[in-house]
Amino acid sequence: MVENKELIRVVEETVSRDDVKYVIGYKRGTYGFQIKPAFAYSAKDAKEFFYSPLCAKNLATYPLLEEKLPLRRGEEAEHKKIGIVVKGCDSRAIIQIIQEKGLEREDVVLIGIPCKGVIDPKKIAKRFPKQSKFVDVEENSNDEYVLEISGTSHKIPKDELLSDVCKSCEYPNPLLYDILIGEAEEEFQPEHFNRVDELEEKTIEERWEYWEKHFQNCIRCYACREACPLCYCKTCMADLLEPQWVRRSVNLSENTAWNVMRAFHLAGRCISCGECERACPVNIPLMELNKFVEKEVKEMFDYTAGLDTEEKPLLGSFRPDDPEDFIS
Amino acid sequence: MEQLTLPKEKLPELLGEIGSKFELIGPKEENGFLAFRKINDPKEVNLDILLSRVPPKSLIFQQTETLFTYTKGKDSKVQTPKIDESVRVIFGIRPCDARGYDIIDPVFMGKKEGDYIDPFYTKRRNRSILIGLSCNEPDTNCFCTSFDDSPANTKHVDILFTDIGDKYFVEVVTEKGEDLIKNLSKIFSKATEKEGNIRKETEKTAIEAISRKMNTEGTVEKLNKMFDHEFWIEAARSCIGCGICTYLCPTCHCFDMQDESTLKLGGRVRVWDSCMYEEYTHHASGHNPRPSRMNRVRNRVYHKFNYFPKNDGIFGCTGCGRCIDYCPVNIDIIEVIDKVKEVNV
Repeated sequence: MVENKELIRVVEETVSRDDVKYVIGYKRGTYGFQIKPAFAYSAKDAKEFFYSPLCAKNLATYPLLEEKLPLRRGEEAEHKKIGIVVKGCDSRAIIQIIQEKGLEREDVVLIGIPCKGVIDPKKIAKRFPKQSKFVDVEENSNDEYVLEISGTSHKIPKDELLSDVCKSCEYPNPLLYDILIGEAEEEFQPEHFNRVDELEEKTIEERWEYWEKHFQNCIRCYACREACPLCYCKTCMADLLEPQWVRRSVNLSENTAWNVMRAFHLAGRCISCGECERACPVNIPLMELNKFVEKEVKEMFDYTAGLDTEEKPLLGSFRPDDPEDFIS
Repeated sequence: MEQLTLPKEKLPELLGEIGSKFELIGPKEENGFLAFRKINDPKEVNLDILLSRVPPKSLIFQQTETLFTYTKGKDSKVQTPKIDESVRVIFGIRPCDARGYDIIDPVFMGKKEGDYIDPFYTKRRNRSILIGLSCNEPDTNCFCTSFDDSPANTKHVDILFTDIGDKYFVEVVTEKGEDLIKNLSKIFSKATEKEGNIRKETEKTAIEAISRKMNTEGTVEKLNKMFDHEFWIEAARSCIGCGICTYLCPTCHCFDMQDESTLKLGGRVRVWDSCMYEEYTHHASGHNPRPSRMNRVRNRVYHKFNYFPKNDGIFGCTGCGRCIDYCPVNIDIIEVIDKVKEVNV
């Protein structure tokens, strides 16, 4: 359990450091079970920070969104750190980015939060629709989520609202942090990502039909890409015109190309935060693609993304005994 | 305006008849959300979910529009696709979404003589008969009433259905609507005064159920004065530039044009685009007049709450709430406008 008082104290302390530009965390949203990313530029801003099982959003996206405006003559770039509140998966995103040299370790101050799993916003909004005021949720020691709506208290078994990705999470505790708030959680006994297993049992035709049903709804807003902390290429292949890898026409063929290419570009890089699936406005089960690739990578190369900043990225390393039977 | 009623159990019969005579489009549940699709069987229609995820603007302003196709080589030919102009009935459209069409009509159909008229949009708009459905139970982020609209507004549809218990109260608004009704068998009854009163009560209850309000008074003038205010940096800080707010908006209408070809065949397509993308304003020279998220978020707000009112005398927002519902980082347009009010200039 993360004490909000303690969180605020740590954020205040971090943001007051001379070498820190700002700290990113969570604050309460404008309605229902919504949370908002919060940015503290001074100790005063830290007051609105909070943490609860609703804080699903992976904030590791933000340091890479920092816009570096052109410098004026004689002006020097500011080298200040960005503080970020991270859960297990969020810290893995940062590790992976550092591994790929997208960020330097010194660029960030990580405020680690041991995570017990986060609530799926779609599941809880369906369970308690039409909440025009913010409703906070707590987790009790009986594996239940507790919330209060217009004076009535509700207890919901955790399993019913927990995000699917969290059910297969092996790393609830931040793997990289500067400050840890609270006690490390016990490691989960993760279930296999059974959505992938279920799909694998189907025939090729059934699987194609399943993906066709989802991909034809894709509106190619690329929210999956923008929400993903690991999709930070300066120019995405989907935006290239010459050569044009994916056409702009929105149809099943191009939509499939986009979604499959996205999944491949995250091979050995996706850290399973589930951000793409949460952002998708047309409910495409993107984590099934990512988890499938993750499984293949694990089986073939015994590699897991985002565990160690010193490790080489999967696609940037070679071992003489790497499997090659899929080449022929 | 003719006022009729239709018993609820007769709705499948009505939709069946419309479907047998014309193309019928209606709200259908797919993969857990509502989408406007061709209806082959009246049973497919879902009237329980309030709004379709993608607004029905996509039926008229299609996400992908092939403007022309061409073949290459000596005998090359350019062909313009023929647009079906036969009557198409769009059933179950909500008043706010129908109003969305009215807001973007001037963009594609011109405002005055001599303006360019887009044949694709115009032909599809003209072939469509809108049978609206009043919202008896507005959702969390509905705020249509903030724009002098109502969840049972007849103004933007050809026919409006309102659920009044065991019947639909049917208002025939336009000539197009009258023609359609004339074409159908006589399964409607004349509405009584009592039924008219229930309809009015239903609308009143629905209006009262809308809890969110946007105070738009003075917004245009205020925005005139704060283009360069640092407020925009703060407002855009959490924006990840995903574009959901624009793609799901019933009034956003930006597009890009692309030539797409294979060895033998090619075509020019018009596809939705979004001002929330960095690439949207990226010039061939490399210069980008909207280089940061602040410029882009500001543009969305200005277009809807400043440029639209100044150009067309109407806010470019219907209050459907989709951008609030689906923003992954809870950028809430009602809150943004509230904060605009508080800014000191």
